[in-house]
Amino acid sequence: MVDVEPIKNQLVCLGLNYRTTPVEVRERVAFPESKVPEAVQEVRALPGFEESVVLSTCNRVEIYSTHTHADAQQAQGELVKYVIQRFDLAPEQAEALVTYDLHAGEAARHLFRVVSGLDSMVLGETEIFGQVKAAYQVALAAGTTSRTLNKLFQQAFSVGKKVRNETTIQRGSTSVGSVAVDLAEKVHDLKECRVMLIGAGEMSRTCAQSLLSRGAKSIIVSNRSHDRAVELATEMGGTALKFDEWEAAMHEVDVIISSTSAPHFVIKPEQIQHVMKKRRWEPLLVIDIAVPRDVDPAVNGIEGVYLYDIDALQAIADSGRKEREKQLYACEQIIESQLTKYGFVE
Amino acid sequence: MPIDRQLLLLSTLAFLIGVVPAARALVSGNWRPSRQWIPMLIGFILQTGAVYYRGQAVGQCPMKSLSDILVFIAWSIVLLYFLVGPPYRVSLLGIFTAPLVTAMQVLAFLIPDAFPDYAAKSKIDPYVELHAALALVAYAAFALACITGVMYLLQERFLKKHHIGGLFYQLPPIQGLAKAIQKLVYLGLLLLSFSLVVSFKLNTPISNPKLIFAWAVWALYALIGVIMWRQVLSPRQTAWLAAVGFVIPFISLWLMTTHG
Repeated sequence: MVDVEPIKNQLVCLGLNYRTTPVEVRERVAFPESKVPEAVQEVRALPGFEESVVLSTCNRVEIYSTHTHADAQQAQGELVKYVIQRFDLAPEQAEALVTYDLHAGEAARHLFRVVSGLDSMVLGETEIFGQVKAAYQVALAAGTTSRTLNKLFQQAFSVGKKVRNETTIQRGSTSVGSVAVDLAEKVHDLKECRVMLIGAGEMSRTCAQSLLSRGAKSIIVSNRSHDRAVELATEMGGTALKFDEWEAAMHEVDVIISSTSAPHFVIKPEQIQHVMKKRRWEPLLVIDIAVPRDVDPAVNGIEGVYLYDIDALQAIADSGRKEREKQLYACEQIIESQLTKYGFVE
Repeated sequence: MPIDRQLLLLSTLAFLIGVVPAARALVSGNWRPSRQWIPMLIGFILQTGAVYYRGQAVGQCPMKSLSDILVFIAWSIVLLYFLVGPPYRVSLLGIFTAPLVTAMQVLAFLIPDAFPDYAAKSKIDPYVELHAALALVAYAAFALACITGVMYLLQERFLKKHHIGGLFYQLPPIQGLAKAIQKLVYLGLLLLSFSLVVSFKLNTPISNPKLIFAWAVWALYALIGVIMWRQVLSPRQTAWLAAVGFVIPFISLWLMTTHG
């Protein structure tokens, strides 16, 4: 609550994100990670600017800064000019550049919402917290932050933690890939989890990649086109199996993701019963992404087998999104109370 | 009210305080495992004090009346919860343990002629004390296996029926729960076996019904242990056995104290 007035007057945020700007423009003005230390120095060196933090992710580019200009519009104009020059934008590109120009309390509210995941494409996602923290660390190391931005970012991290601790905004899965991960985590220890892909469709690839990125132990890919299986297995650091060999290897895996284009059931109860005998009651998660379905629904009736088809996965993801949306009001309330506490709003 | 009873009452309140807000938070989907830890620890410290002062008052390890036995098992359950919970990452065990411990302690107060004064023993046979203490800690392990069994059955049902919600996200993976049940049954069986081995060394003979009940419980859990080891039944069926099986030691305690 100390020195509230200077913060209110000096703070400025210039940004663009996935809502305001299409990806082809965003990628044009994104700061590569290695160039961010240089960028924060450049912003601070602009006439009338004192501090700067540059946040550049795949979904947003934002410059937080403090200035000594008498007029906030003038400061924002300087920043827009800097972006145009920095990325050498042609006049028509500069004309098409849509940014949000926020200052004082509005800039602080925006940062608090960003850190809390409320401004993210996937509502409540937690990755942005780390990205903002990294951006702040870079600026801190470059010596381009001082009292105002140091205080603002510390407050933002504290608000982000508060939102996550006091609401369930990050709870639940909002995509088919993350549902698959959540389910696998509740059946097995993911670090020991072996995954088999039957069919190499895009969705099964996404699910497998989500599992691998969260620590799944290994992956086996089997596809009618063996070349495609080899290609996908190589890409994911797994092994490829010929399509007539997957059945024999089924008992060795803990998660099966099936997405073939077969017009009939590929996995039948009698096969799984046989597999479960070999597995000695080790649980098996079967994810059927194919339409028409690859796995006979009767498989879910087998002891220790948990079958989820695309509709079940989608329903869980939808419910996760709705649950997060329900938390939005509570999150905004926390942010408003913190803005009042820190003196950004009365 | 004697100091041991006061401490016991306070520890019961601590467990109750732990379980009520935790249950509410769990239902709303905003439960944090770290918060459960604090009332459980406070309850355990108070409980330890209660057992200590009760032991001082009766001049022996307080395990003679049903109310004392219930308190001693409740204490052992919380002790094992602290030992078992973190290594198996079964953080939610506390929220399932607290109601059982609260119920046991409330029952200990409600039993007619609760916490009677026993005649102080002229000479304490350490083997008798060891035999009884080991047996009761073994029963606590079976109680925790029962609680973990209930957790397994809930999580298994959520997975089978696609009920993916608040509690599902809090419960550990079913594979981990199945292993925890198995280890708790083996631990209880090992402790009870030691207790029965010690009973052969007793100078002071203990009543036949007590030994018969203890052997019956041992036989039951030995059977469950063999079933688990040989993987005769599925983990879901063994979870049922662990959950329902605890009824037998529980009844045997009542029979031991009333007919022993």
